[in-house]
Amino acid sequence: MVRVVELSSELSGKKIFERISLEIPRGKITAVMGPSGTGKTTLLRHMTGQLHGVSGKVWVDGLDVAALERKQLYALRERIGFLFQNSALLTDYSVFENVAFPLRQHTRLPEILIRNLVLLKLQAVGLRGAAQLLPSELSGGMARRVALARAIVFDPMLILYDEPFVGLDPIALNQVLKLIRTLNRELGITSILVAHEFAAVRQVADWVHLIAEGRCVASGTPQQLAHADSPWAAQFFGGKIDGPVPFQYPASALDEALGFVGPSS
Amino acid sequence: MKRLNKHSAIVDACYEIGATGWFLVVLLVAIPRSLRYLRETIRQIWFVGAKSLIIIMISGLFVGMVLSLQLYYTLSIFGGTSALGTVVALSLYRELGPVVTALLFAGRAGTSITAEIGLMRATDQLSAMELMAVDPIAFVATPRFLAGLISMPLLVAVFNMMGLFGGHLVGVNWLGIDNGTFWSNMTSNVNVWTDVINGEWKAFVFGAAISLIAVFQGYNAPPTSEGVANATTRTVVWASIVILALDFVMTAFLM
Repeated sequence: MVRVVELSSELSGKKIFERISLEIPRGKITAVMGPSGTGKTTLLRHMTGQLHGVSGKVWVDGLDVAALERKQLYALRERIGFLFQNSALLTDYSVFENVAFPLRQHTRLPEILIRNLVLLKLQAVGLRGAAQLLPSELSGGMARRVALARAIVFDPMLILYDEPFVGLDPIALNQVLKLIRTLNRELGITSILVAHEFAAVRQVADWVHLIAEGRCVASGTPQQLAHADSPWAAQFFGGKIDGPVPFQYPASALDEALGFVGPSS
Repeated sequence: MKRLNKHSAIVDACYEIGATGWFLVVLLVAIPRSLRYLRETIRQIWFVGAKSLIIIMISGLFVGMVLSLQLYYTLSIFGGTSALGTVVALSLYRELGPVVTALLFAGRAGTSITAEIGLMRATDQLSAMELMAVDPIAFVATPRFLAGLISMPLLVAVFNMMGLFGGHLVGVNWLGIDNGTFWSNMTSNVNVWTDVINGEWKAFVFGAAISLIAVFQGYNAPPTSEGVANATTRTVVWASIVILALDFVMTAFLM
C-alpha cells in the first residue's frame, strides 16, 4: 500500500531522513515507532503529500505522491483518513458538523443520508449523544474519538493515526484499540500508527518499524521486536536511558556551558 | 551592528510586501475554485460586513455631527453657512466616509480575520482541511478576502448615510440652518460620479487591501499565542498605513 524508497528529507535545514526505506503492507496495521523528534509525524506528512523529500520517493497505492498534480493529490487524500495528534477539529462547528464536513465538501448526498452516515460513525465511536456539542465542550479523549469518526466517514482505504493513544483513559484507550482493529479486520482498511505506547501497539499492530537517526533501524512483528538483539530495539522497547538513542539533545559540554572552562581552541 | 539591523528590517519589510503581493495572486487565482464555497463567502459577509454595521453606523452618526459643528463654525466666519450641507456631504463622500470606515473595518473585521485564521493554523485546522482534500485557500482565505471586498463599499454607503443624517441633525435641527437650503445646495453641488462613485472606488480598494493584509497575516502567523498576537497587531498597523497611503494616491488620481 505504501512504499518509502530511499527518502531523504530536511525540515528548516535540519536533516530528518537519510535514505530511509520501508514498506507498509495492504490491509495490515503497521506501527511506526521511535524516539521523540525522529520524524515519525514527518513521515506521515510525506505520505499525504504535505512535504516533499530532497530525494527518494513515496508511493501510496501505486502513486508517486510528490509527482501528483493538485487534483490527483486531493483525489488521493479523499481516500486517506488522518487522525491528528491534537484532533484538529473545526472549533466553530459542532461534533455533527465536524464529522459531516468531508461529506458536505465532496458529495451531493441528500441531507437525510448525511445525517444517518454521521450518526452511524458517531455511534461507532460512542459519541452519538454528543452530536450537538462543540469541540470546546469535549474532553481530549472525546475529541480524539470525534476526529476518528471524521477520519473514517468516507470509509478510506488507508488511515494514518498520529499518536492516537495519548491522553486516553483506559476505557477510551480500549475503545480506540477495538475501533482500529475493527476497521482493519472487518473493512480491510490499511492502518499506519505513529505511537510511543508499545503495550498498546503490540495489541493491535501486525508489523512495527522502528525509526531512529533518520533511518529504519529495526522492523518486525511486535513480538519479534520485543525480544530483538538490535541495540536500538533493546533500548527503545526496554526503556533504557543508555544506548544508541541519546537522552540529551545535542549540545556543548555542560562544564563549558556553565562557564567552568573556556571553549577548547 | 545598528546599520545591519536597520538593513535587515528594510529587507524584512520588502520581503513582507513581496510575499503579500504574491499572496494576492494566489487569492485571485483561487477565486474560481472558491465559487463552490459561495455559502462560506456569504457567511463571511455576515461576519465581517453585517456585524460591523453597528460600529459603522454609530461612528458615521458622530462623525457627521462633529463635521457639521466644526464646519458651521468655519463657514460662519465667511458668512457661508448655507453651504454646510454641501461641505459635509463632499467631506464624507470623498474622504471621511471611505477612510474612517476603512480604519474602523481594519480594527473590527481585519483583526478578527487574522486572529481566526492564525488560530486555525495553530490548531492544525488548516492542515486538517488539506488532508480532507479541502483547499484552505479556496475555503478559508478567499471567502474572507471576497467578503471584505464586497462589504467595504456597502459599509461606506451606510457610514455616509449616517454621517449626512448626523450632519443634518446638528446643522438643521440644532443650529437652525434651513432644511431646504441644506438639501438643495447639497444635491446641486454633489456629483454622483466624481464624488459618490469615486468614494466607493476608494472603499473597494481599501476593502481589498485590508482583507488581503488580514488574511495574509493570519495565514502566515507563527502557530504560537505570541505569533497570532503579533500578526493581529501587524494587520492593524499595516492596514492603517496602507489605507492612508492609498488614499493619497487615489485622491491624486481621482481629483
